[in-house]
Amino acid sequence: MSILSEIERDALTEIFNVGAGRAAQSLSEIVGDEVRLTVPSVEVLRTDAINEQLLPRIQGRFATVSQNFYGPFDAEAVLLFTEDRALSIVRDMMGSQMSLDQLAEFEREAMCELGNIILNACLSAMADMLEITLNSSLPQYVVSSPEEISSRLSEVQSDERYVLVLHIDLVIEKHQTDGHLIFLLSSTSLHALVEHVQAYLRKIELT
Amino acid sequence: MVNDATGKTLLIVDDSKVSRMVIKAHVLAVHPDWQVVEAASGEEAIRVVQQNVPHYCTMDINMPGMLGTDAAEQILQQQPSVRVAIFSANIQEAAQTRAQQLGAVFVAKPVTEKSIAQALLHFRGPV
Repeated sequence: MSILSEIERDALTEIFNVGAGRAAQSLSEIVGDEVRLTVPSVEVLRTDAINEQLLPRIQGRFATVSQNFYGPFDAEAVLLFTEDRALSIVRDMMGSQMSLDQLAEFEREAMCELGNIILNACLSAMADMLEITLNSSLPQYVVSSPEEISSRLSEVQSDERYVLVLHIDLVIEKHQTDGHLIFLLSSTSLHALVEHVQAYLRKIELT
Repeated sequence: MVNDATGKTLLIVDDSKVSRMVIKAHVLAVHPDWQVVEAASGEEAIRVVQQNVPHYCTMDINMPGMLGTDAAEQILQQQPSVRVAIFSANIQEAAQTRAQQLGAVFVAKPVTEKSIAQALLHFRGPV
């Protein structure tokens, strides 16, 4: 049973693709090359389902950038890349002539910047298209194991938490990377988000 | 000249149904007499054009299968009279340049009244 209807999922995918397009534009200015950034799928899951469906597919540690945001609905947004992929993104962002030691030094800063660009682009697209205002906290960079992420998700499970999972395809300087953007939402916030999406859809039909 | 824009056909190509709905609604609000045909991929768009050549076409870039710009190129090779507006969330220079090279107009998503006005201006052509 899907939590979002097909048309609601379509609308959210479109919103996040507009966000991804804005983020790609900013990133391409940093790397001086074309960046491909797309969100091919959006899914809402319960927090327990993400443990079963998403985490086991990934080997190794995650590099995560998280940011809280507030508005008609509150959520924690977490951008997830595997650690080795995060490092190759940093390399692409900082220039490939850098040594590994130098890269490690910039990793936190570069990943926060990447997270900031992607998260804010997605939030601004969502705010513009749904005609709402969203405020956000500063991004935080943490490297964690799948177990740590899973236990963090299960901590909030009692509060009937949902996760909005976006698959992200990122190509910088011909290097393909994929990651996930996860929004942790309470059921109240999820319902508020869905209501705004429905209002957006109603407006189209009435135009 | 006065009835220049009446009874035209528009092909909307986008993998997102919501996007097609938004484009259609905005266009029909301005031109209620236009006939709208939809396609969800570049491949489908090419097939549609082979059967029935539209006057105008809006084309998304990122879709499953072929890129919208590649589909637009094929369509314009076969039917140079079709006026094409490339609608895309990918707002980078490269995408905009590609659209211009094809002789199409580039319009940044999200689809709004303003972006539709840009496309309609291009459809009308230089007068």
